[in-house]
Amino acid sequence: MKQALIVTVLVALGSLVAGFVFDANSYPIRVLCIVLLTASMGQAWNLVGGFNQISLGHSAFFGIGAYVTTVAQVKFGLNPWLGLPLAMIASVLFALILSVPTMRLKGPYFALATLAAAEACKIAASVMGITGGPQGLSVPFVGDSWAMMQFRYPGTYVPIFVGLFAISSIVFAWLVSSRVGYFLRAVRDNELAAEVAGVATFKTKLFSSIVSAALMAVCGVLFAQFTYFIDPETVFSIPNVSIRAALVVIIGGVGTLVGPLFGALLIIPLEELLNASLSDSVGGLPPLLFGALLIVVVLLKPAGLTSIRVPRMGGRKS
Amino acid sequence: MISLLQALVDGVLNGGVYGVIAVGLSLVFGVLGIVNFSQAQFLMIGMYVAWFIWHATGIDPIIGAFAALVVGGAIGALLYSCLIRHVADASVLAQIFVTVGLIAVLENLALIFLGADYRSVKTSYQTEAINVASVLVSKPYLIAFTAAIIVSVLLSLLLNRSWLGRAIRATAQNEAASTAFGIDGLRTKSLAFGLGTGLTAFGGGVILPYASVNPTVGSQYIVLMFTVAVLGGLGSTMGALVGGIIVGIIQSVSTLFLPVQMKDLALFVVFIAILAIRPQGLLAGVSR
Repeated sequence: MKQALIVTVLVALGSLVAGFVFDANSYPIRVLCIVLLTASMGQAWNLVGGFNQISLGHSAFFGIGAYVTTVAQVKFGLNPWLGLPLAMIASVLFALILSVPTMRLKGPYFALATLAAAEACKIAASVMGITGGPQGLSVPFVGDSWAMMQFRYPGTYVPIFVGLFAISSIVFAWLVSSRVGYFLRAVRDNELAAEVAGVATFKTKLFSSIVSAALMAVCGVLFAQFTYFIDPETVFSIPNVSIRAALVVIIGGVGTLVGPLFGALLIIPLEELLNASLSDSVGGLPPLLFGALLIVVVLLKPAGLTSIRVPRMGGRKS
Repeated sequence: MISLLQALVDGVLNGGVYGVIAVGLSLVFGVLGIVNFSQAQFLMIGMYVAWFIWHATGIDPIIGAFAALVVGGAIGALLYSCLIRHVADASVLAQIFVTVGLIAVLENLALIFLGADYRSVKTSYQTEAINVASVLVSKPYLIAFTAAIIVSVLLSLLLNRSWLGRAIRATAQNEAASTAFGIDGLRTKSLAFGLGTGLTAFGGGVILPYASVNPTVGSQYIVLMFTVAVLGGLGSTMGALVGGIIVGIIQSVSTLFLPVQMKDLALFVVFIAILAIRPQGLLAGVSR
């Protein structure tokens, strides 16, 4: 845990410095922003997926976050900083409603229910009038403005993404080391035994899924502010949001603090590199490789790549 | 009244095909206890197999569907014996994400080698319909439905009357005991998995006269397939057919009240409700 904290702090500080040192409009800085965003999404997923609630529907919370602030800004002129708490509330409300039918479901059933919920949200967003339908919504550009949470160059976003990454990491670290963390591990290892031992299993799972939904909503808000455009297919995408968040966690290490960061640092630059060097005709190659990597990691190193230790360092398991 | 009747007919015809598409999912879960999230990609494989056969020789996709069954089955059996069997006793996370990873692999292999464009077939009966008391029965739907029912009956005969079927059911009930009786567990399970993926690929072939194929076509069917399988009770093969028909009816009748884009929304809400109330399926225990 200590090592993981040091790594997390170093990456956060390093990113912050990089944001000031490098050209704010440069491509690596843009990639850095996406790495930090993806790591935060992974950390949000980790709060539930790390404790055996395998969600495939986190795109629902991401999309709700993106849509609530954007609709509030476009249609009602609400400042995105004020839209942010609204987005979190909406996402938490959806998590609460969804928990009624899903909390008692196990394993694949839970995964299926969350998958269907996210797909339902995608359809709802394309049918409703206020969301702009399948064409999506653009965030109006008003120029560099901290007050409106939007900037011309990716570099200026770096502090915001570092903040998001720091908050999601702190929340995860705090949650796993708190009383709730012990409860969550008890529930993960044996739900019945935990229940018998007096753990309020329903409340514990509900708590982690609410925190996770709120964090994922913030990720969605920042995504909308960063890309200036959202549509149902993008923000409610199962492969690009739900599975992406799970992917970086599983590659890095499920239930660990550095897992999502490690996964994002590996996956995102690799994807950008492949996309830049390959022609359009083999656009399917990066997702193909990631799918294969997911299978290989799950089969051979289910604890994630961060579980690999050089023997000299003691082979400690984190 | 006519429109309701029409919706019911369309629903039943479509639903029978959903049944054959989803029965593989149910079979695999029943025998192996694994939910194959990449099952819908075998629908895509089946559609491509039938399309290429039609494109090369002009053979009707309904006939091509039987070749799709063999190809989809062979790929499934191979994937089971190489990859999926290794997660049989692993964590739920590993079981889910092996097949989730397969979704990306299969879709993008198709994208790289076959391209993103939509492909469809032309058949003589494609746009024809039979008028029965002012209800239009679409010919391609009717043919697909008939093929689906025939294959469902064959499957039921295979599972209940043949030695392979007995071996599959014995392995599902008690693997240790079935091994003691000389049943090769790995071989039986590979065959069961292949049978499951093959049936879904077969379904892909029969819908080709009225649906077009591209690498991501599976994503349109994934939640639908799971809804059907869960409705009928994961593991119940006859349930899948009944579940398919119920889902077909829900879909087509809901379009009478709701905008067309919302027909799946109604379905997903029903799906989540069923998972919550009766995750063992509405029909589990009633039929098997």
